[in-house]
Amino acid sequence: MSWRLAALKNGFQEDAAYRVEFFLSIFSSALVPAAIQLILWYALFQLGNQSEVSGWSYAELIQYTLVSTLFTQVRGGDHDFDLQEMIRTGSLSNYLLRPVGPVEFVYLRGVGGRLFIATICLCLGTLAFAALGFSIPRLWGGMLLAVAGNVIHYQIGSVLATTAFVWEEAFSVLMVKNMLVQLLSGELLPLNLFPESMQWIWKSTPFYLYVYGPTQYALGNWSHQEFIHGLGLAAAWMIGCTFLIRLSWGWGIRRYSSLGG
Amino acid sequence: MSFWRALKQYLSIYSVQLKNNWVREAVYRTNFLTSVAVDMVWIGVEFTLFKVIYANTPSLAGWTQDQVYFFLGVFFASDALFTIFFQKNFWNFSDLINRGELDIVLTKPVSPIFLALTRWINLTAGFNFLLGMGIILKFSTAAGFAGGWAWLSLAFWLLVGLTTALLLRFAFSVWIFWTERGFIFSRLYYQFFSFATKPDTLYPKAIRYLILTALPFAFIGSIPARAVIHGLSQGEMVLIGIVLIVFFVLDRTLWFAGLRRYQSASS
Repeated sequence: MSWRLAALKNGFQEDAAYRVEFFLSIFSSALVPAAIQLILWYALFQLGNQSEVSGWSYAELIQYTLVSTLFTQVRGGDHDFDLQEMIRTGSLSNYLLRPVGPVEFVYLRGVGGRLFIATICLCLGTLAFAALGFSIPRLWGGMLLAVAGNVIHYQIGSVLATTAFVWEEAFSVLMVKNMLVQLLSGELLPLNLFPESMQWIWKSTPFYLYVYGPTQYALGNWSHQEFIHGLGLAAAWMIGCTFLIRLSWGWGIRRYSSLGG
Repeated sequence: MSFWRALKQYLSIYSVQLKNNWVREAVYRTNFLTSVAVDMVWIGVEFTLFKVIYANTPSLAGWTQDQVYFFLGVFFASDALFTIFFQKNFWNFSDLINRGELDIVLTKPVSPIFLALTRWINLTAGFNFLLGMGIILKFSTAAGFAGGWAWLSLAFWLLVGLTTALLLRFAFSVWIFWTERGFIFSRLYYQFFSFATKPDTLYPKAIRYLILTALPFAFIGSIPARAVIHGLSQGEMVLIGIVLIVFFVLDRTLWFAGLRRYQSASS
């Protein structure tokens, strides 16, 4: 347990040491995507004179964008890139000599900053929800689902990072994953705007549990039953990914030659 | 040294860089597949996003679906040109200053900025450029692109896009002389770069003004596409010229100020 706490503390300390960069990166990663979404709604409703899009009004889409920004900040994290870099450069050897699991260690070291962001988002969201008369317990439930999404995001990334055991360009797999997540998590637009024929795409991945699910629940568009179903699904993905991590890392370590890239 | 003699010298240096990069890329052939795969997904995501939006509306700020796809083709081609000639040099730009690798560049009898920005050429991204051109070709007629001599005009506007990306990226990167952690500026650049992925007429006035002046990301794809489909007013042409000149002067000033501050590996 002590190394886990140490890894978490180490992550916090690193973010605190470079706090200007840390806050600047949060600011830019929250502000710009939100601005682009708002601009799309502006173009659709103000310039395009639409009054409704797939059942969403202008005000509802703005609400979606603002609330989803809170959850988007929680889902991120590029710790899986650290994993593939460790494998590629051979620095993974340092971790294999120690009584720590590299996958868990890298996550704990990187998650500190995300937990801090989640807390800030929760506080800001609670204040805003109280002021606007939205349900605060729903916001907290949404945040729970978003944190589960953060874990799944990393788990999937750590399975994909094992391609670095056999391929030097493994980072590209992670880049592709991140691009898909950006679209299919609901970060760019509400997923039910997808045409009927394309709905299966986002429904067949767990990515919608990162942003779309939490936002829909927080806004009251998901029932409690749908939320519990989402949580169950997240748990199932976490369990499945845990097995996949064991399988892929066991397979990778057997091939690992520690020669570096 | 006369202009023509200097030009000949720089061209000969560039041809050596080109040869070296060609040999390197021939060795790492999987880079090609990687680059193509990542860009195909990126293109797919952008197309899907607009497909979803146009499933709900026939027109967006005066742009039809085909015109937006044409814009995406112009944007991808323009961005691919930047990737081919400059992107990798900017990835290594912070190492140049933080690790003191600029020392060796400064000792050469040619412009250090020329060497710093032409060392790496990503030839595999040439496929992405062709992909962008393929998209342009596919949607050109439906988008109302005149064709014929207009292709020359498109080539000019793609060069404007490339120049803008170079000047902007440099303006974001040059701060490495004053800070140790340059990646935050790269990250900021790519966050703002998202503004380039949509036609500028979609944006409200304030943001549109911003991306046409202080942060001219609209010049990368939107302005070139608009110029060849709808045409630009004289005022807009003058504005583009002024903004690019201001950025050139700003970059040049910051570069020399940075060089004066540079203290080799300890900076």
